[in-house]
Amino acid sequence: MAAASTSTADSTVVTERRGIPGASFVEDVETYLKQCGLDVNSSLAFLQERLQQYKIVEMKLLAQQRDLQTKIPDIEKCLDVVSTLEAKKGTGEALITDFEVSEGIYSRARIEDSDSVCLWLGANVMLEYSLEEAKALLEKNLENAKASLEVLVADLQFLRDQVTITQVTVARVYNWDVHQRRIKQAAKEI
Amino acid sequence: MQQGEGSEAQVTWEDQQNINKFGRLNNRFHELEDEIKVAKETNENFEDASNELILSDEDVVRFQIGEVFAHVPREDVECRLEKMKEDASKALERLEEEKKSVLAQMAVLKKILYGKFKDSINLEED
Repeated sequence: MAAASTSTADSTVVTERRGIPGASFVEDVETYLKQCGLDVNSSLAFLQERLQQYKIVEMKLLAQQRDLQTKIPDIEKCLDVVSTLEAKKGTGEALITDFEVSEGIYSRARIEDSDSVCLWLGANVMLEYSLEEAKALLEKNLENAKASLEVLVADLQFLRDQVTITQVTVARVYNWDVHQRRIKQAAKEI
Repeated sequence: MQQGEGSEAQVTWEDQQNINKFGRLNNRFHELEDEIKVAKETNENFEDASNELILSDEDVVRFQIGEVFAHVPREDVECRLEKMKEDASKALERLEEEKKSVLAQMAVLKKILYGKFKDSINLEED
């Protein structure tokens, strides 16, 4: 996705962000077309292609956002459980819970005072941690996930801005063309 | 964006930025509507849970923590539920505030953009 006509007639602030090409703002349509060396139809085709590329990137980012948005509540639930175990520790009481064995079938578990928990790390790997370590790890993961989400949201906003700029440019090039044709038509009729 | 019949108003970088900002606000508005819907449901669920708790007379309540249902004494559940209700209600309030602010900003931008471009621009939901 090479950024083509980012020439001197335009005044963009950012030319690209994390692989997303910035859309150059066009100050004047006529100058823009001369500098590209493109006629109206080629220019419109180029801009439409850009819009398609943006669409693809948007789909990808939205999917990533959805993933993070399910991951974050999961981490928070785990933290909840670890905090509860921490609170129970030292009281000598066992924690009795009902947990799902299979869909609709629950069983009762008695969790004695314990210093450690096992955390599922993914890829069929489960590791035992002390309660403090587990809490620290989960909190770190939560922080990272939230930070990634923030960056992602900013990426999406940047992307949508570029899409808007490109759409406005398409409209302006088209209008300019209509305007030119009208002038030519009027000149002929004189 | 509506394609006019060769309008004369030139689009400046400031106009473009206003249009971009309007787009962002509009997106945020739709996101907020969805988030508010979820938040309202959450609040209702907590209300229902509260009511159920009052009606039941068990001393030990099965309270969901993570994916399991822990046996928690009634008073603890009451406390926890109260806190969760408060948090949820504050969250909903924050969302409603943000929605109001977003709508207000959008109204201001609409005025500016329609003022300059009149018919050449369309800022309504289709």
